[in-house]
Amino acid sequence: MTVPQPTPEELNERAAIDRSARYPVMFFFTSAAAWLFFATVLGFVSSLKLRLPGLWDECPYMGYGRLFPVHFNALVYGWAMQAGIGVMLWLMARLTRSRIQHPAALIVLGHVWNAAVSIALISIWFGAGRSIPLLDFPAWIWPVFAVSYALMVVWVIPMFHARRNALFYVSEMYLIGAAIWFPWIFITANLIINRGSAPVMGAGANVWYISNLIYFWMAPVALAVAYYIIPKIAGKAIYSYPLAQVSFWLLAILAGWTGFSRFMGGPFPAWMPSVSGAASIFILLAIVATVANLLMTLKGCSKLWEFSPSLRFTVFGMLMLATYAVLSAMSSTFLFGRNLQFSHFLVGLDTLAFYGFFSMTMFGAFYFIVPRITGSEWPSGEKIRTHFWFSTYGILTMVVTMLVGGIAQGGNLAQWDQSFSTSFVNSSAYVVGRCIAWALISFSNLSFLYQLALMFIGKGRKTEGPTLIHAEPGQVGSARAAAGLH
Amino acid sequence: MNSNNFWKLLGALGAAFALPWLTLIVIPFISFSNFEPVAYAEGEEVDGGVLSYPDRALQRHGASDYGRKIYAAEGCSYCHTQVVRPTYAGPDMWRPGWGGREEEKLARETQPYDYSTEAFALLGYQRIGQDLSNLGHRITTRALMHQHLSDPKSLDPDSGMPAYRHLYTESPYGKGLLPTPKAEALVDYLLSLKKDQPLPAEYVTGR
Repeated sequence: MTVPQPTPEELNERAAIDRSARYPVMFFFTSAAAWLFFATVLGFVSSLKLRLPGLWDECPYMGYGRLFPVHFNALVYGWAMQAGIGVMLWLMARLTRSRIQHPAALIVLGHVWNAAVSIALISIWFGAGRSIPLLDFPAWIWPVFAVSYALMVVWVIPMFHARRNALFYVSEMYLIGAAIWFPWIFITANLIINRGSAPVMGAGANVWYISNLIYFWMAPVALAVAYYIIPKIAGKAIYSYPLAQVSFWLLAILAGWTGFSRFMGGPFPAWMPSVSGAASIFILLAIVATVANLLMTLKGCSKLWEFSPSLRFTVFGMLMLATYAVLSAMSSTFLFGRNLQFSHFLVGLDTLAFYGFFSMTMFGAFYFIVPRITGSEWPSGEKIRTHFWFSTYGILTMVVTMLVGGIAQGGNLAQWDQSFSTSFVNSSAYVVGRCIAWALISFSNLSFLYQLALMFIGKGRKTEGPTLIHAEPGQVGSARAAAGLH
Repeated sequence: MNSNNFWKLLGALGAAFALPWLTLIVIPFISFSNFEPVAYAEGEEVDGGVLSYPDRALQRHGASDYGRKIYAAEGCSYCHTQVVRPTYAGPDMWRPGWGGREEEKLARETQPYDYSTEAFALLGYQRIGQDLSNLGHRITTRALMHQHLSDPKSLDPDSGMPAYRHLYTESPYGKGLLPTPKAEALVDYLLSLKKDQPLPAEYVTGR
């Protein structure tokens, strides 16, 4: 089944939509990529500090306890959320065939968001952090995040409401879900934590927030991208629309229950971590069905993976999503969880979510969207390849060393008759892996940032045809032929 | 034309999230917010004239509220947990001193009430360093605590803890370090970490 070719009117309409999206979306994309580079460098520095605790002892700003939260928050609020918002805006405009109204207002909101991120990170770095993972910033900053996000969503929902086709695209459903779920989760977690009347539930709301941010915001945005890009590049409809619907609703019903299994055995009623653990396992159904559905769509044209950067990043991101779901389900059981809880594995798992699956899918979207809205092509396929392989090796190094290191560290923690520092000494070799991973990822993002900056200032390639990974510029036809498509 | 469908979708998305939101977050939050201290019954084992569990005075120590802020700002809880798990979830109770005073048979897992003097329970993120739930029973003197903060390697050469030298100033009288008020407050907080107050029988059986 192939999709009919678009008519010239449709092409003009698309171009108009892309033009309306250009400035706000590029603003979100470039500032996100700059934050990403900053976050990956800090990821490296904080891991190095963990490996060599004596480094820079005199300096208050170079402690692991400050570097890590700055890195973590920059990665999520600076990069991931901004990239996601940009993708949401463009994708919703394209899916509903509506232009983005008032782009200047969106850019103002983007500035507010960036200012909030900067102030949050400066506060944490200069000693006003609160040791609440991903909500470390001082209490007065969260309403700024909440309001500017809510106002940006005001662009997404009316576009969806005014759409002209009767059937919902799966991507649209995921985007609408992400748009309305995030403020709900974010406001709930912040209200509970800042009210402070139930300290233990504050900690519970915190882990619930992290896990929901992953399953209720990042997964939907990434899946919306995958459900758009994969059929588009493969040139055929999604393998099974009913399966996509079912897996969407499974995710929607289950994701809110996850999170508490991070504190299994903690000071909560035992049913809460148990329910969360069960939900993390059942959610595998939704994720595996979704990823299988997407991969089945690619059946028969999987060679496109070699040429199309968008497809390559997106598919890799989806495989990482499946890996994340499996590992997080595994660590929610007592069998694995008793050793993996509180170990290095946790950092590996979170990085897998924020970088391995979410960011890689976002890169796929960037490689697809940016040429369309700027009207020029990526300068170099070589650099895209560098970006992909260094990121891939980085994230795989991270996950493997943190998984093995986590098992080793957890095993040492469980040997209660040994001295505690054994667990630190024995696992510190794996932290080297974490340093290497961030160095690789950092390097890969330098080349990404460079290319994106060229596109931003209008220095992209102006020749015909998209930039492909293993093909001469402009040789789309030969690439498609090599992939077995005519 | 299809705004009906639109509202249906929005309602379904809301409903899918509202159920876990209510059950897992809102209702437990309300019930956890109404914690009242439980008085000890007549003849129950009491810690030096303490009348109820949890006892706020027992959990505070000097400037420990300010010290807690320093603890959070330095990101201590990224490496140190404050949660003692039951043995089905991990062997925390087996580590000497982690569960509290073992000689007095008071060692136990942490309970929700133990955190009630704080605004946010710093349960922690990773366990790169020791669990600190009952640190106040393991390190009992200010001098030792200061030494641990300013030069951890002098106590355990394998320690992975950085030295918090920026909380100390050079002594004007020659050798040695002087603690800043921040360091004193942090030590107050660390010495106050004792989560092994005996549980009243009513609390143990009533849950």
